[in-house]
Amino acid sequence: MTIKDAVRPFARPLVIVGGVLAIIAALLPWATFTLNEGPYPDKATLQFFDAPFAVSGFRLHTLILGVAVLIVAFAPIPVRNRIQRALGWGLLAVSVVNTLFILFGGGGLGAVTAIDGAFAFGGVVGIIAAVAIILAANSGVIEPIPHWNNKVPTLVAYAALVVSFVALLLLVAMMLNAGGQGGVGNPYAGPIFLSLLGFLAGVLGALHGIGLTGWISRLSDDHKWFSVIVLLLCALALPFTEAGTDYWMTTAANIGVYAATAIGLNIVVGLAGLLDLGYVAFLGIGAFVAANFSGAAAAKMGFELPFVVAAIIAAIVAGIFGAIVGSPTLRVRGDYLAIVTLAFGEIFKKSAQNDIGGFTGGANAIPGVPPINWFGQSFDKPLTIGSLELPSGVLYYVLIIVLVALVMVVFANLKNSRIGRAWIAIREDEDAARAMGIKTGQAKILAFLIGATLAGLAGAVFAHKTSTVAYDSFQFIESVTLLAAVILGGMGSIPGAVLGAALLLVLPEKLREFSDYRLILFGLALVLIMRFRPQGLVPDKHRRAELANEGAEGVPIDELNVPDDTPGGAKAEVAR
Amino acid sequence: MTAPVLSATDVSMIFGGLTALKDVNIELHEGQILGLIGPNGAGKTTFFNCLTGLYTPTRGTVKLHGRTLPSDPAAVTVAGVARTFQNIRLFPSMTALENVLVGRHSRMKQGPVASLFHGPAFKKGEAAAKARGLELLDFVGLSGLDDELARNLPYGDQRRLEIARALATDPSVLLLDEPTAGMNPQETEAARQLIFAIRELGIAVVVIEHDTKFIFSLCDHVSVLVQGQLLVEGPPEVVRGDPRVIEAYLGKPPEEVQAEVRQYAEESPAERTQVIETVSERTQVMKPIREEGGQQ
Repeated sequence: MTIKDAVRPFARPLVIVGGVLAIIAALLPWATFTLNEGPYPDKATLQFFDAPFAVSGFRLHTLILGVAVLIVAFAPIPVRNRIQRALGWGLLAVSVVNTLFILFGGGGLGAVTAIDGAFAFGGVVGIIAAVAIILAANSGVIEPIPHWNNKVPTLVAYAALVVSFVALLLLVAMMLNAGGQGGVGNPYAGPIFLSLLGFLAGVLGALHGIGLTGWISRLSDDHKWFSVIVLLLCALALPFTEAGTDYWMTTAANIGVYAATAIGLNIVVGLAGLLDLGYVAFLGIGAFVAANFSGAAAAKMGFELPFVVAAIIAAIVAGIFGAIVGSPTLRVRGDYLAIVTLAFGEIFKKSAQNDIGGFTGGANAIPGVPPINWFGQSFDKPLTIGSLELPSGVLYYVLIIVLVALVMVVFANLKNSRIGRAWIAIREDEDAARAMGIKTGQAKILAFLIGATLAGLAGAVFAHKTSTVAYDSFQFIESVTLLAAVILGGMGSIPGAVLGAALLLVLPEKLREFSDYRLILFGLALVLIMRFRPQGLVPDKHRRAELANEGAEGVPIDELNVPDDTPGGAKAEVAR
Repeated sequence: MTAPVLSATDVSMIFGGLTALKDVNIELHEGQILGLIGPNGAGKTTFFNCLTGLYTPTRGTVKLHGRTLPSDPAAVTVAGVARTFQNIRLFPSMTALENVLVGRHSRMKQGPVASLFHGPAFKKGEAAAKARGLELLDFVGLSGLDDELARNLPYGDQRRLEIARALATDPSVLLLDEPTAGMNPQETEAARQLIFAIRELGIAVVVIEHDTKFIFSLCDHVSVLVQGQLLVEGPPEVVRGDPRVIEAYLGKPPEEVQAEVRQYAEESPAERTQVIETVSERTQVMKPIREEGGQQ
């Protein structure tokens, strides 16, 4: 508080100084060696600095943020502090990521202060500018987010939605492409990607601050079908953007498989509140069933079923197992249920490893699952439409987009129904739910059954896409990743699960050169997100409503107002 | 008199060695408001739990419209007994309307398949349930708050919402566990009016309450439960004046207590003189309270 009070009288000059410093930082050198030439140790040809002012260049981002801060400082804008705070955090992220990379990836302190006395203050100035802006913005009142009127002519709404979704598509393509494909050959992918992520987070935070994103989200609520169609079209347009490469199509298809599974898990965890730590087993069951019906040499069944039929069988089998795993929920709750599901996941893995019943191939796995082949077009070959050649994997991508869309519809429809409400009621207070006439046992098993069915469906696609189904694709860590995707994105929210799955799969791809540290970074990121945004990145509507009451200090309302509706005494009172 | 809507016959509940309820009999008639009072730990909530299927009574039966109630809370609710909880147990992250719709659950028929496809019949059922939910919110005085999260409602409104949610199950008997706990006099009065309005709907109501003034001004019939046994029952005027009830709530009249203690002390007088003085001081303090209570 004291820092705040000390800063308050100088807030306005400080913000202006910060903005100017940011612009200076963008123009200062960030490393002592000359870009792309000169003998400074083997880092001299840093591709990192290929095009600092290009779209993915961090110096351009620094410049943009600095200019934006100055514009906001002088323009008559009502939510000045909130916008500047977001821009400041974005600037801080960009500066810190790049400075750290130059220091640690670019040859230590020598990269900033060379022996010959040359200094590169860019990064330091950037950080100082960011801290100044954040301090100044935080010292004032953080204004409430303005509420834009969403009663606009339909045409305007449609135009706004199309523009924002297309912008989203371009952003996704840009982010996937930023820094190129990670790996030993390209150690710069990670920093460029993270830096861009920081910049975009700052800009989106600012747009959120002026109420734009809230307005768009309300518009899309009002015009649900239109936005779903536009979003679907945008997703299908991804192969035509700069991200339309083999590599990204494959990664995107993987994301899709995980997203579909995560949405299924979201029914169990997010809606019904049943913690499942062995969920990936259902994906595995679906994959093995589909592989056995695929006509692969190692398959137990000597015949090949059409993909659609095999996928339906896979879904049903997974669903049956889901109901079996769900049945202990009649007796155990909470932590104990988590242990039971954890055990089930391990049982599945061990069974698959030991080739029980000859269905899983054991350590040899089931290799050679043929790609899906419809109308003479094999799904793993490039697709040629007229003169346009699309990368291989694009058909799987399209198939998975359709699958994810289907799973989303299932989730949304169930959530907004009698059954979905029963699940949420069970999550909130199981005894009260029972007292309202809900047969909680049936409802919980149904949640497991439907969640597992969706995972089984995703597993069938997975089997054909990867062509080899091995037990080690379905380990505990995958279950944890799925759970993390659900929680990170926001429990009970569909866009949340998709975003969570995307982040959890894209980040490791991008951070390949930090392979030794990436789990640490990853864990740190999760801890930070849970600390500062416990409701998830894209929370469910209800949780968003709580956010609207965010206090002046920026503390989420649920931290101030811990629900105190089920003290121990109450539980004991109604327990049998 | 007509056949009772709800009747509990010789209900006993024994937890291990503890007898929480012993041979409790209650009859509830249509349009009746029955008050259940008693000191803390008398077994009121235990009795409620026996009525709603949370507990299965060790002995005795509970019948609704002459049929024995099942021992499953969900089935009891379907049969037509709804309840509220002593400490509010709403679904905090759901909106007010959604809370009421959960109450509507057992009266809706849509299965998983209908929920998956959202066909015309589904939409019709959903719209009807929503309309009924809004009607009930209106009824309890929460109009316009349907989109508010339950956790964000003020305390009194949460109590009302719990009643609306219970009413959504179309009950023939409504059990209210301390509906005015923690309320100020205005809110208590509003709750009283609301319970009268519920009776007008033809629903029989059982109320547990500590506020005897509230109970005596509300109920047609009052049962007093003390240490798991039905002590007194009858119309409020009768119960109010009954010395056993006053004793249960306030202790014995000061003179009697003093006499008893004195007799006790006489048996071994020396070390007990101090006790007598303490007791008489305390009974003197209680005297005005007693008199005030009697005037009501």
